[in-house]
Amino acid sequence: MACVELRNVWKIYGGEVEAVIDASWECQDGEFFSILGPSGCGKSSTLRMIAGLEEISRGEILFNDQVVNKLPPSSRNIAMVFENWALYPNLTVYENIAFPLRVRKMPKDEIDRKVKEAAEFLNLTPILNSGVRHLSGGEMQSVSIGRAIVREPAVLIMDEPISHLDAGLRARMRDELKKQVERLHVTTLYITHDQVESMAMADRIAIMNLGEIQQVGTPLDIYYHPRNDFVGGFIGEPPMNFIFCELLQEGDQLFIVTPAFRMQLDDEGKPQFQRYSGSSKLKLGIRPEDVRVRLQPLPNSITLVTDFVEPQGDRTIISLRLNDSDILLAQVLGSLRPDVGQPVYVTFDQRHMHFFDIETGLNIKNLE
Amino acid sequence: MLEAKSTNSLESAFEANEKKTLAFYLKWVFFGRPARIILLIIFLLAIILPIFYIAMTSLKEPIEIRTSGALLPRGEITTVNWVKAFANVPLLRYLLNSTVVALVSTILVLIVAVPTTYSIIRFNTGGWFFPAWILGTYVMPPIVVSIPIFAMVKMVQLQNTLAGLILVHTMANLPIAVWLIDSYIRAIPKELEQAAWIDGYSKFETLARVVVPLIRPGVLATGVITLILSWNEFLFALILTYGVKSNTFPIGISRYIGEHGLQFGEMSAAALAGIVPIYILVFLSSRNLVEGLTRGGVKG
Repeated sequence: MACVELRNVWKIYGGEVEAVIDASWECQDGEFFSILGPSGCGKSSTLRMIAGLEEISRGEILFNDQVVNKLPPSSRNIAMVFENWALYPNLTVYENIAFPLRVRKMPKDEIDRKVKEAAEFLNLTPILNSGVRHLSGGEMQSVSIGRAIVREPAVLIMDEPISHLDAGLRARMRDELKKQVERLHVTTLYITHDQVESMAMADRIAIMNLGEIQQVGTPLDIYYHPRNDFVGGFIGEPPMNFIFCELLQEGDQLFIVTPAFRMQLDDEGKPQFQRYSGSSKLKLGIRPEDVRVRLQPLPNSITLVTDFVEPQGDRTIISLRLNDSDILLAQVLGSLRPDVGQPVYVTFDQRHMHFFDIETGLNIKNLE
Repeated sequence: MLEAKSTNSLESAFEANEKKTLAFYLKWVFFGRPARIILLIIFLLAIILPIFYIAMTSLKEPIEIRTSGALLPRGEITTVNWVKAFANVPLLRYLLNSTVVALVSTILVLIVAVPTTYSIIRFNTGGWFFPAWILGTYVMPPIVVSIPIFAMVKMVQLQNTLAGLILVHTMANLPIAVWLIDSYIRAIPKELEQAAWIDGYSKFETLARVVVPLIRPGVLATGVITLILSWNEFLFALILTYGVKSNTFPIGISRYIGEHGLQFGEMSAAALAGIVPIYILVFLSSRNLVEGLTRGGVKG
């Protein structure tokens, strides 16, 4: 068991490519901590530095308040589950799981007990003596987890462990994995590019983009209070709508004005501007489920034309035309299915409107 | 496996192709099954005919060899060439010398080449220069370095010894071994080695206990190739050895050129005696050889 802390960690390749920029975060003992980001965002470099597979260019990594920068991977008491599982192809399931124990010269009967325990835990007992070459993806994944947990590491690192599985199995393994890790009470660092995995499994998420940490927080915190437009757009499916708008004050009324519509901010939308004094040109972010669509006019509603309708059964995703190039996505109940070309009346759930600075992309709630 | 699959798909492509266009027929003529069989026969003949001719020559009376160029012996079949070949020249000693040189130098080559290649690939040892240099020495004609090599071997007092020749063969065959092993190591997923580091192996243990077992077919195939190269090697053997004690088979065989002219029959018998061990070796290792040369490594 250990907590992991990064203090101003940088990874610079070849003196110029900055893969990780000034990353600082802390992962608590026993926490399921996910690093999430698109490919090339630096999440794998971060993890490889934590594992000791790559040198740390600048900064410090601490396990339980001890700097581990110079420790080789084998001395960090970590275990790792790789994207391609990295099972030793010439060994059996049993030998693969026993491998880290045998390397550490543990007595034979103790190895046997621990391997069987792990196999039981992961339902691998029936295939313990088969080779690993012909296992299914799910089984290989279980074996690689078995190899990781068998020596009770302080930190379990998983690098996209289920992204090679097909969709159905991935959903099942997500639950399975979460349950297994919970029962083990081991500090887990989980790297993925799939926001669904992070949201479903992690206690906390660190979102990275272009080498920089964008936000660290619980899944719901990140969902409801995105620190910037990247986080807002990266989390959520279908993705958040972004509309460039201008803030207009008339008396004590606030309006947002776009070329397509003008909308008054009500008591739920206004508070976030109480202490705002920045530019009046902003980027509005609104999630599709916070866009309300009616077939009859409502007070303060805007009229938009339906461009495309995607029925999904329980819900309908409607594309609404803002202008020639921009659309607004709305996610509504499945019973509402307007015709293409039909005008509809739209309001926003103003509690969940996010406004981002155009230059920095920061949520104005974070601006003083 | 892969080979078989692609062949089958080609075959079925021919069957499935309903439009019998000109391109289809051209393809069939050049790549279809009959074309492949004919090609195979031509290749086999090219390889087998000379050996068969040598074998027949070794069974002819010496007088017949000189008077007739026919493939098959016309007169009686005789073993006189074989008996004389072993009696007049210490052929067994030459074969033994060759075996020692080829085996020991191959083992040395593999011991040096595997860690060298691994280090170049995984730890970028020597930057861009070292691998390029190795390849450079491979394409350089050996005769260019024959005099310096002779001088060096003489300096360490190893001229006319098997040890000297072993060292030179090891050096000469290293580049090709590095070049061959390169692809096998590259085929191993890096994560496998990283997993071993995390599991507690040192870098050297990872190489010895994880990487080497996985590239074994490739290493064996490389070994067979360097063994054959050493067995055949003539130039260095010629300049570095000058006596029965250390002459290898390719040098020894030139001893049948005596005062009474070329002893074609004996030479044929000796040549065949030198070919046979290599054929047996390749035959025994053919599975490994094919696996090693085609598959290239392991998929994770």
